[in-house]
Amino acid sequence: MQTSSDKPHVPGPSLWPAGLAVGVIVMLVGIVVAWSLVVIGAVVAIVFAALWVRDVLRGSHITEAPEVEPERRVAAPPAAETAPAAVAGGAERYPRSVFLEVSTLGLGAAIGGLITLPAIGFALGPSLLNQAVPEADLGPVTNFPEGDFIATTFTSNPPEGIVSRRTAFVRYNGLLEQLPSYTIISNHCAHLGCPVQPNGPSVGKSHTWRTVTFQQYDPSGFGCPCHGGQYDIEGNRVAGPPVRALDRYSFNVKNGHLYVGVPFSVAKVVGTGADAQIHKVTYAFPGEHVSGAESWLYPIQPPHDN
Amino acid sequence: MAGRQTTTYERITYPVDWLEERSGLVGGLRYFLYRKVPGDTNWFQTLGSATLTAFLSQAITGTILAMYYKPGPATAYPSILHITNDLWGGWLVRGMHKWGASVFIILMFLHMGRVFLFGAYKYPRELNWIIGCLLLTLGLAEGFTGYLLPWDQTAFWATTVGINLNGTAPFLGPFIAQFLQGGTYINPDTLPRFYAIHMLVLPALIFSLIGLHLYLVVRLGVSSPPWSKEAAGTGPLVPASQNGHSPGLKAGATDA
Amino acid sequence: MPSDRVAERRKVFKQYKADVAERGKPFFPYAMVEDSVMSLVTVGVIIALAVIWKWTTPGDHTGIGPDGTTLNQSGWLGKLIDDPADPGTISFVPRPDWYFYFLFYLLRIFKWPNTVILGTVGIPTILLILLIALPFYDQRAERRPLYRPVAMVAAVLTMISMGVLTWKGATAKEALGSELIGDVPSWAKSEGFENNPAAIAGAKLFAVSGCLNCHTYNGAGNSNLGAPDLTSIGASNQGAEFFATYVSDPRKFGNEVMPVFGKANGGELTDGQLAQLGAFLNASRGKNASSGDK
Repeated sequence: MQTSSDKPHVPGPSLWPAGLAVGVIVMLVGIVVAWSLVVIGAVVAIVFAALWVRDVLRGSHITEAPEVEPERRVAAPPAAETAPAAVAGGAERYPRSVFLEVSTLGLGAAIGGLITLPAIGFALGPSLLNQAVPEADLGPVTNFPEGDFIATTFTSNPPEGIVSRRTAFVRYNGLLEQLPSYTIISNHCAHLGCPVQPNGPSVGKSHTWRTVTFQQYDPSGFGCPCHGGQYDIEGNRVAGPPVRALDRYSFNVKNGHLYVGVPFSVAKVVGTGADAQIHKVTYAFPGEHVSGAESWLYPIQPPHDN
Repeated sequence: MAGRQTTTYERITYPVDWLEERSGLVGGLRYFLYRKVPGDTNWFQTLGSATLTAFLSQAITGTILAMYYKPGPATAYPSILHITNDLWGGWLVRGMHKWGASVFIILMFLHMGRVFLFGAYKYPRELNWIIGCLLLTLGLAEGFTGYLLPWDQTAFWATTVGINLNGTAPFLGPFIAQFLQGGTYINPDTLPRFYAIHMLVLPALIFSLIGLHLYLVVRLGVSSPPWSKEAAGTGPLVPASQNGHSPGLKAGATDA
Repeated sequence: MPSDRVAERRKVFKQYKADVAERGKPFFPYAMVEDSVMSLVTVGVIIALAVIWKWTTPGDHTGIGPDGTTLNQSGWLGKLIDDPADPGTISFVPRPDWYFYFLFYLLRIFKWPNTVILGTVGIPTILLILLIALPFYDQRAERRPLYRPVAMVAAVLTMISMGVLTWKGATAKEALGSELIGDVPSWAKSEGFENNPAAIAGAKLFAVSGCLNCHTYNGAGNSNLGAPDLTSIGASNQGAEFFATYVSDPRKFGNEVMPVFGKANGGELTDGQLAQLGAFLNASRGKNASSGDK
């Protein structure tokens, strides 16, 4: 080995150590996985180690460590001017620094988008999708004598628990063209959603069927305790700030049981009982006009029942 | 290394100097503490820092409450009862948080009134006034979102009305209401949503804006009470004939 | 000229900075001590309120009865907790926190459906914009209160209206049937129909049928909707039968707003119940009146 001068010496570059490293790793993996791998790894490691040692002992690639200029601050080199010349094709209009700036911003935007868009979607999406409510069983139709209003408190979506308790004022109107007619009025005020109360004395005691509670009332209308809204017996607004009639529930009668489904909003109701004409619109939040000039303030509703 | 021994003073201040050399923070704190303010500042000008104290009280009591409060329709109410009646000191922390909210809002209004009275929203403090108004709005929003958390009747229905109030806004109203509620009606997702807004989103915004608010106060300086005889920025009273301004106006205008 | 004003402002601000540098005092300790005292007072007030809230609650100061249900009692500062949330209730009267009472009362003022949006988002948004934009439409450099009449008048008006709205929001009362029925004995006493069983029965019907959602009677009820106060309606000497007929069908008397109560006309009250109501209204001749049987 020619190690005569004062300058530091380094072994020449060589790939044999890579093979040694691979062999050692295979040995370690083999300890966990299989003994055959240990043997293979050992063989590989020894072979490459021998080759490496042979190289070093031969001293064939010993070189002198290269002189390195210490760093000095220099005035900004005209890199921007040389860069355009260096770009293949001489595209001086699009220097490399500008390209790098734009790509950094672009990549940043892409990363930002990849992170925040799914998060925003998660924040917004679930409140707009899958809003459908299953039908709720209100019990045998014998609970609803004809012509009487029964305040019925039920759980509209049992998996959600108590937070889905609702109260509807249910009145059986008899048959209309051989089909049972029910008036099922929601107790959420159409002004700002307060719980509406029946204006009239309660009749008898309340009773329950499973989780459904029934209490008969003799109302002459409905009133809201928050800001003084008043409704008539069909839910039309009579006085106060409510902007439309009370919402109603769609219903179904199956196997002698009454089921309520998706609620909908009502512009107004003409007539009463089984003959009432209900001007039905898609469900809107309380306080939103559904008819008249002011309804153009709320042209699009988010999905409510799908 | 040095040619002399370190003095006792230097031994004591060594940690401070160590921190200052590596961060520069100590110098910043010194600047904040020893900066000059007008000598005639009024007791009414303590309302701002009192508001900050009230907010910090809310932050601390809120953090402690968050360790025992369980958001969720079935667990929220029982956890509040547990905090109030079973845990040692729970009633005090919950009471401080509830009444601290009212005190915080009252102080914000009083502070705003004081700034208005002093005309301290005028040049160059307009930006600070705007930040203050935003803080007022955010503080009221904190009160609104926090009101739902006990999940009792008062909470539930006040929040129903509040959400529907937002829903009456034109065009976007229905979407805002549905986003706040997490659905068409208040559902099991509404409470955690309000909790996240109350605990994470709004405090982060409020802390950042308070930081900006304080930075501007330090940078722009505290104003003297406008009626003060030696108000900073004004010269001595000079009769109208001599100062070229309208009668009664002090020379050198009346800013700051 | 704008640039003159801008130059003037900058000059004055520079002078302010110079004045403070020359004559000012260090924030610590001179100003900070006042801040610290006020902050201590603030924390003291918060703690005091918390303590009073708890320890003035009657009983064992928990607001919960031995059977685990919420008690309806409150101390000096309101209930410790209310009943658990019940979305299906039909007897609860919602109220916001006290610092929102002014907005709450604003909603009661705008009771015409077409104006609802003004009360919910219109006016609050406009006021907030006016508040935020204040430094932009008040560009005068004058800061002394006595020389800013418009600002001072506006401030006083704002404070008075916020105070009045908040107070009216706090005292807005509701006509809950289940609560009003407890008032019937005191009505009977003050109006003098304690010995009139028909009037008492009518009073109970009156309390639960929602009449007080529109009318006021002896301080209870709602006067927001323009229906007359009935405390001394009987003094008009129209007779119990007149009142019974009116309530049975107000349309006959030109009243298009009041609901129709008589069963014969589509309502829910029987003739017997209507007669009791008529007796009650006829006996209502004002506070501390003598008993009127007819």
